[in-house]
Order: sequence, then C-alpha cells, then structure tokens
Amino acid sequence: MSTTLSRFKFRFTAFHLWLLFLSTLMVGGVVAGAIVFTQGLHVTNLNDLVPWGLWITIDLSSIALSAGAFLLCAAVYLLGLKKYQPLARTATFIGLIGYSMAVLCLMLDIGRPDRFWHALVYWNPHSLLWEVTMCVTLYFSVLSLETLPILGSADFFQTRWPNLAKKLQGIHRFAPYLAVAGLGLSMLHQSSLGALYGILKAKPIWYSPGLSVLFMASAVVGGPALTVLASMLSARISPKAIINDELLENVSKFIAWAMVVYLYFRFWDALSVTYTYVPGRNEGLAMLTQNSLSFNFWVGEIFLGGVVPLILLHTARFRKHQILRMVAMALIVGGIVAYRWDTNLVGQLVVLSYLPQEITARYTSYFPSLIEFVAGAAIVAYGMLAFTLGVKYLNIVRHDLGDHHAEEASHAEEEVVLAPATGD
Amino acid sequence: MASDKLERRDFLKITAAATVAGAAMRMASPRALASSTEGSSPHKWVMIIDQEKCVGCGQCVLACRANNDVPPEISWTRVLKVGKSGDRDVFLPRPCMHCDNAPCVEVCPVKASYKRADGIVMMDYDRCIGCRYCEVACPYGARAFNWKSFTEPNPAVPTWGEPGVERRPRGVVEKCSFCYNRIDRGLEMGLVPGEDPNATPACVVACPMGARLFGDLNDPESQVSKILANSPAAYRLRADLGTEPRVYYLPIRSGGYSEVELEEVTP
Repeated sequence: MSTTLSRFKFRFTAFHLWLLFLSTLMVGGVVAGAIVFTQGLHVTNLNDLVPWGLWITIDLSSIALSAGAFLLCAAVYLLGLKKYQPLARTATFIGLIGYSMAVLCLMLDIGRPDRFWHALVYWNPHSLLWEVTMCVTLYFSVLSLETLPILGSADFFQTRWPNLAKKLQGIHRFAPYLAVAGLGLSMLHQSSLGALYGILKAKPIWYSPGLSVLFMASAVVGGPALTVLASMLSARISPKAIINDELLENVSKFIAWAMVVYLYFRFWDALSVTYTYVPGRNEGLAMLTQNSLSFNFWVGEIFLGGVVPLILLHTARFRKHQILRMVAMALIVGGIVAYRWDTNLVGQLVVLSYLPQEITARYTSYFPSLIEFVAGAAIVAYGMLAFTLGVKYLNIVRHDLGDHHAEEASHAEEEVVLAPATGD
Repeated sequence: MASDKLERRDFLKITAAATVAGAAMRMASPRALASSTEGSSPHKWVMIIDQEKCVGCGQCVLACRANNDVPPEISWTRVLKVGKSGDRDVFLPRPCMHCDNAPCVEVCPVKASYKRADGIVMMDYDRCIGCRYCEVACPYGARAFNWKSFTEPNPAVPTWGEPGVERRPRGVVEKCSFCYNRIDRGLEMGLVPGEDPNATPACVVACPMGARLFGDLNDPESQVSKILANSPAAYRLRADLGTEPRVYYLPIRSGGYSEVELEEVTP
C-alpha cells in the first residue's frame, strides 16, 4: 500500500494551498450563482433604488484594470516600442481574464442571462449600454485572437498538436491590425462606460461629460498598474516568471504621469461642483466627502489610491525599490476599484424627489449581501486562478523571451514594416 | 514592403475617416432620438390627475394590480402623501409619465422599452434582459424590477378586477402601460378611451373621486383637452428635465398648501 502511494511522490506545496484556496472560493461562487439563478436576484441587497451594486463595481473594475492590454499593444505594435512586447503579452492575457470576469459579473447581474445575446441582435444604437456591449464583445474577440498565439506557443500545445500550434502562432502576424482594432474599441467602451452614467440627467452627480474622461483616464492608470503588479508578484513567487525590471520601471514612470492627469480631472470633477448649488449634485458630493462614501473617497481614492502612490512613483528612490513600487501599484489598483464603487453608488444613493415643490434629495443605503460577496469573491478568484495557471503553463510573464515569432524568418520582413513610421 | 506599409496607413486613415463621418452624421441630427417614434397615430393619450379630488384611498393601485396582474410588492401607480392643505392631506398619484423624450427608451440596450406612435411607452417583456439601466435612468422611479417570481394568486384578483395582460416573468423590468390593452381593444370596438370605461385605464375607472381623467389631447373636444386649455395651473413632474411627460397634475385649489414628510399610501 505504502509503496503505491510513494510512487506518486505528491508533495503538498504552497502552490497547492493557493489552488485549494482559490478553488474553495470558486466552489462558493458556484453555489451562490446557483442560488441566484434559481431564486432570483432578491437574494441580493439590490433594490429598485439601488439596482446596480457590488457585481457592477467588479465588472467596471475588471474592464478598467484590463486596459493595460490595449495600451501596451498600441505601444508595441503602433508606436513601435518593441521592447515592451513581453509586457504586452502579460497585459493581453490579463485583459482576456478581466473581460471574461466582466462577462461573468453581467451574467449574474442581469435578470435574464438566457437573453444576453439580445443586445447583439436587437440594436439600440442610442443606448450607451448597447454600444458598450458591442464594443466589449468585439474587443473580447480581439483579445482572444491576441491570446491564441500565446496558447500556440505553449510547450504542451506544441508537442501535442504541432500543426494547430503553428497556425495559432501564425495569428500573431496580425498583431498590428489587432492593436488598431483594440485601441479603437477600448477607447470607445472605456469612455462609454463612464458616459453610461454621465448621460443620466435624472442623476445630477453623474450628469457630466467628465465621467467619460475620468473612466478613460483612470483605466489608463489602472490597467498598466495591474500589469506591472501582476508581473512583479509572479516573479517573486514563481520561478516560471522572469522579469526585466527596467521595462517595469519605465512603465511605472508612465503610470506616475498618467496619474497626474487622472487626479487633475478627478479634482475638477469632484471639487469644482461646490461652486453653485444644484439639487442632487451637491448632496452627492456631500455623500462622497462627508457621509457614507467618505472613507472610500478620502482614504481609498484620494489618499491611499492617489497621493501615496503618486509620491512613491515620482520619487526615483522609491520607484526603483521593488517592494515600494509593488505597494504603489497595489494602492493604485485599489484606488481605481474605490473610484468605480463610489461612482456607481453615489448617483443611486441620492434619491431626488420629482414633486412639484423644490426638488429635494433623500439618501438611501446599500451594503452587499453575503451571496453578493461570495459570488464576487469567486469571480476574482477565477481571475487569479487563470493568471496563476497562465504564469505556470503559458509563460505569461517571461521578459527574457523576446518576440517569439520575430525570430522566425517570415517575420524578419515584417520587422521592417513594423518599425515606427519615422522614415516618412 | 513599402506597399505593406501603405496598406496599414490607409487602413488607419479609412478607420479614422469612417469614425469622423459617423460622428458627424450623429451630430447633424441631434434630435434623432430613440424615443422619436416611427409611423404616426391620430391619438395623443394623456392623463390628468386632480390633487384637489384625490383622497389617497389607493383604489387605483389595487385596480391596477388586478388588471395588470402586478405583484403586491410592486405598484405601477403609486400614491404618495406629499402635503397638507388646511387639515386635509394632499396626495400625488404617480403612474408612468409616458414621456415624449423618455430616458428609459433612450438607454435600453435592446429596445425592450419603446415608444408607440400614440405616445405610450411600452415594454417588450420577451426582449428585456433585466439590466435595469432604465430603472437607473427614470427620473420618476416609475419602473420596478421583478426581483423574484410571482407565482402566488394575486390578492387583488378578483376583488379589484381581472388581469387583461400576461404576468411578467422573474428578471424583467415592468411598469405602467396606460392599460394599452384596454385602449386598443376599446378602439377596435369603436369606443372612446377616456369616455367609455371599457376603453379607459383601470386606475381612471376605479377612482371613486373622479380624480383621474384620460383622453386624447389631439381631439380638441375631449375632456382632457378642454380641462388643460382652461387650467393654467396644470403642471407636470420635473418638467425642467425636458422629458415632456404625458401626465398632467391639477394642483390643490383651496386652503393653502404645505409640504409634509413623504409617505407612500399602501392600500
């Protein structure tokens, strides 16, 4: 008996513990999801005043934090910053995971998940949500095409299905075109997700063209931040991840300046609205600065999510320090999630009267139910599991590998074509 | 190689040009809203609610629940206690406003909310995906989501009427339809909505005080046209938003008015 067992030589490692932890969360999510699908959404703490809650926050955050994919692909394939190619690979994979997380959130959140395809068939081009749905669907396809060569270059894939692997890798030659499509689609829907709130006249705290700019700007900060954080974390934990710290530090400099832009817009968006009283808008701001969202706003968004990483990333000494840089990136990611949470809730928690007298604002509240937390945690766990497996089996974080396919002869030619358009 | 390069640049140019052209086309027709309807109708249905007459009994709510098979936790038409006039309470019943520029119709990603030519804002319950964007967009809180299945017998049936429409499934948003089914059936039978009870929204018919009126604003001889022509004080909710609601209110006309803490009447 003991001999059969010893033949497996199974050793329970920290990696297995991590997988077990994530799987447990995911099993919880499957149970929660089953309850939602059989019982209906009344098991959540959502109601007709606050119909969008935690899951929508996770959905918005996943999309924002996936923005590294289109930014880095544009940098590599359109601006010709080829040395960032390994980073674009990481970002693309994170993007694919992020968008699939968003889809999972939406499938839980919409009342009729069986009709998710309706937006693709019954078009309302006037609806921001329709536009977002179309863009996300198309961009998800772009991300899938961008990820297929990664799958094709995996060792297990090459040994088992060499022909298919070659075909999948061949898709990589369309990378510049995919980058153009990704850039266009992402700029559209990242902004539109903000505009989705920004066009709602009935909610004065939202009603502003600023929201589309802010959603875009915060995604430009948060996307690369998650890419840098995930790369550095994997390199510390897994021998399969190898990073080039110089690349990551350069991206960190970019993030540092993108943050200045984002916080500038956030400052004007939030703090200039006190100048004149608009019913509902000022109450919304008070909610952020003094009432139920104030901790989130001041500590999550402004101090930890803004000021601290801004200082850390703009000070060369701190930025070069690996741990501090990782802390800065983690804080930025948290700050982006806090911004999405605050923005989604602030317009819903202020309830404006429609009575003929002076328009008055009342407040409502929302705290997610256990089922919302369990299902939300499972979706995040799924994302982490997918990334973990990507690092282990798909060489997602390998800065020592150049552009795999650039080495191929057929590619030498494209190399010239892809060079930045400096010649003309 | 050079041709390759050209190709890519052209691709970019064409993409950019197409985007600009598309945006320009949209900007050239700023009134091309989703809520502008195709086709035309001789009718323009409106509702008038007289606050002087409403006593807040809530019978409209019950008649609505029965006729439209609405679950007890949802009210398509709500009655709110909003003020005091002398020693009597002032109420504000709130159905769907059937806005001409309906925010819910604009935002619906699948056109499950749409506007009929006669102005009724409709719901296609077979198409609704339950995203609840319309709920977030409606300035009047007129929409309700089916958070759970409604399988029990409707307590308002048969005392307050019999359902004339199908019950909605779990997971879709529902709202007041001006009892479009009663209007359509009535018109087919040669009846006049607003005058013949069988062709008139159930809440209007049920009101024991005659506080609700319904009719065709395109017909200068209709009761609603005449009343609105002679009621300079008539108002609409949140008219400042430009939604152009189809529900008009006649304010209280005696004994002064003061606001009170908002309270919903639950019949």
